[in-house]
Amino acid sequence: MSVTVMEEQGPSISEEAIPVWNGKLTIRAKVAGAGSALIYFHPANGLHWDPFLSHLAQTHTVYAIEFPGTSSGDPYAIHLIDNLADMVLVYEELVRSLGLTRPVLVGQSFGGMLAAELAAAYPNIASKVVLLSPLGLWREDLPVARWLEAGPQDMPALLFHDPSSAAAESMLALPEDPDIAAAAIAAQTWATGVTAKFCWPIPDRGLRARLHRFSAPTLVVWGREDSLNPVGYSDEWGRELRDVQVAVIDGCGHIAQVEKLHETIALVDAFLAGT
Amino acid sequence: MKITLFEQAPYRFMPDGFEQHYESVNSTPYSLATRDGVYSSIRDFMDELMVAARSGYDGLAMTEHAQSSYDMMANPGIVASALAYMTETEGLDVAIFPMGRSLGKAREPVRVAEEYAMIDVLSGGRLVAGFPIGLHYDASINNGVPPIEIRPRFDENLELILRAWTDREPFAHNGRFAQYPQVNIWPRPLQERVPVWITGIGNPRTMQMCLERNFGFNYLSWFGAKLTGKRIFDRFWEVADQVAVPRNPYRLGFTQTIAVAETDERAEAEYAHHLEYAFRTGLGSIPQQKLAMPGGIDIRGVQALVKDPGDFGLYSEMRTATFRDLVDAGVVICGSPSTVYEQLREYCSEYGIGTLHAMLGFGSLTRDLTMKNIQLFAEEVAPKLRELWADTDYAHHWWPERLGGDPTPVTPGVRATEDTPAQAHAPKTGVAV
Repeated sequence: MSVTVMEEQGPSISEEAIPVWNGKLTIRAKVAGAGSALIYFHPANGLHWDPFLSHLAQTHTVYAIEFPGTSSGDPYAIHLIDNLADMVLVYEELVRSLGLTRPVLVGQSFGGMLAAELAAAYPNIASKVVLLSPLGLWREDLPVARWLEAGPQDMPALLFHDPSSAAAESMLALPEDPDIAAAAIAAQTWATGVTAKFCWPIPDRGLRARLHRFSAPTLVVWGREDSLNPVGYSDEWGRELRDVQVAVIDGCGHIAQVEKLHETIALVDAFLAGT
Repeated sequence: MKITLFEQAPYRFMPDGFEQHYESVNSTPYSLATRDGVYSSIRDFMDELMVAARSGYDGLAMTEHAQSSYDMMANPGIVASALAYMTETEGLDVAIFPMGRSLGKAREPVRVAEEYAMIDVLSGGRLVAGFPIGLHYDASINNGVPPIEIRPRFDENLELILRAWTDREPFAHNGRFAQYPQVNIWPRPLQERVPVWITGIGNPRTMQMCLERNFGFNYLSWFGAKLTGKRIFDRFWEVADQVAVPRNPYRLGFTQTIAVAETDERAEAEYAHHLEYAFRTGLGSIPQQKLAMPGGIDIRGVQALVKDPGDFGLYSEMRTATFRDLVDAGVVICGSPSTVYEQLREYCSEYGIGTLHAMLGFGSLTRDLTMKNIQLFAEEVAPKLRELWADTDYAHHWWPERLGGDPTPVTPGVRATEDTPAQAHAPKTGVAV
């Protein structure tokens, strides 16, 4: 099928701050588009609005949620929530606070794990779920890469099948201004540390035992050459979920939505358009 | 001045060029080790510490680095307990100073309290209790602690241990990281106030905690004290002024790698190769991403370090550092007794250091050369150096009473370690060093 990718221009993005947890925690979201609601759960290093999200905003109202502690100017919010079960409660409250009825959940990597935890805890919360190389399962013969101890020189090869591709280089590029670059490095580093609180040292918090609770139709997308979270896990998700489609993209690493944008969009669009 | 012998327990027989061929000293394949090599590395390490005890050193110090070939020391308490008993049976009045158990790493804090208490009993009250915050690779890779939890875990564990030593009644501990229905350890330390030292690399919050809580603060020369020392020590004493704590030099500890021979030339000839081995297959082979893991350093700290990595000194070049690089940066002090004495005296007097940890065994240094280094330093450097600060009125409040210390608090306030840094600062004390 043909796919229209959002032009450079991108949609108009607004920001929302949603108080939760008895007013102690403020969750920030970037919101764009129109149509039925879609919640996006970002990966471990924080939220970066990308062409994939712009595309989703053509057909949905996208709520891209910033994980607590990763929002600019509010790094210590992470210290308010100490365990994953409470974090799932925070996100459930967030869905209610936003007044959303059965939104689509889309999560990438760590965000995929979080979306899956929410959908497993609250089987009726989502209409559909899209998981892009989600963390959350562990097999000893398929160790997830220890991304927290990967140096900057190692990250491109962990994230991309072809780190020299334009899409990869564009995502990895740092701002030229040294002050802005330092702030960006600090923000991404901190976000990675914040999310690691819920998935380090082994990204397995018992999710496998909860996956049977899923009721929403689910699409699982994987890059065949995923060096961070091996593609073998796509079979595990296929086995554990009842209503699931699993798609593997060739020539693709961990971040399918960046490295193979068109293929990812085609899969997601077809899944979301289906009944 | 109090002077301890500080040693790590490196595997001393790594193949030449290790640092070029292996990713790190925290992931060293054990296939490189031989049975005899491991035994002699540890046996010599213990013998050297005992020689120091018999040579008049004020203390014996070691620390914790698990799963590491540069310091095979998963639990310094085990070594400290052996030394505590041996020195007690030989009647050697020497401090037993594990620098020590990493509390950002520890998942069994009551066991740490129990082990240290036992060491104090075995030694007849000579324990000096060190608690490093925790190196990231050690806490987060070796022990699986998310880096963002290292500091809060340290804070909780430290409070629990101090309470376990001192509370007369059993108590329950409902912590974030540990829960115990009953804490009532047997035995407790013999010392009513065990001197406590924290090792840090420059975080002002850690310095402030030490100053406010009557803890000693240790700093290490390994990043190159000529590059980093002024920044760190000035920062320490500025924080002391801000919290209105006297500039008592005894509360500042400094670990310096030192190599002494009869002449400067001979020192270089005998030690240069081993010093290069020590740092290339030691700190130089710990990749930055294992020392500074995401979440382990505050977001503001990361931003500051990206812009100014000065606190890390020579570290980024250490994997290929030459003897001259190490000397020039102050990572090591190497030379004749007078050369070494002059440099140490100048350094310690300039920065207000009253507790020196002399690292006289290092890297591949042989047993014989280590013994020589320990003996020469003890006979020709330490006696003069020990006179430093002797003419001041300062008491050593961070040393066991049995060994001449006066471990009563110098500051009355006790502040919760999880507090944010104090906003209001008392006037400067103006106490000179």
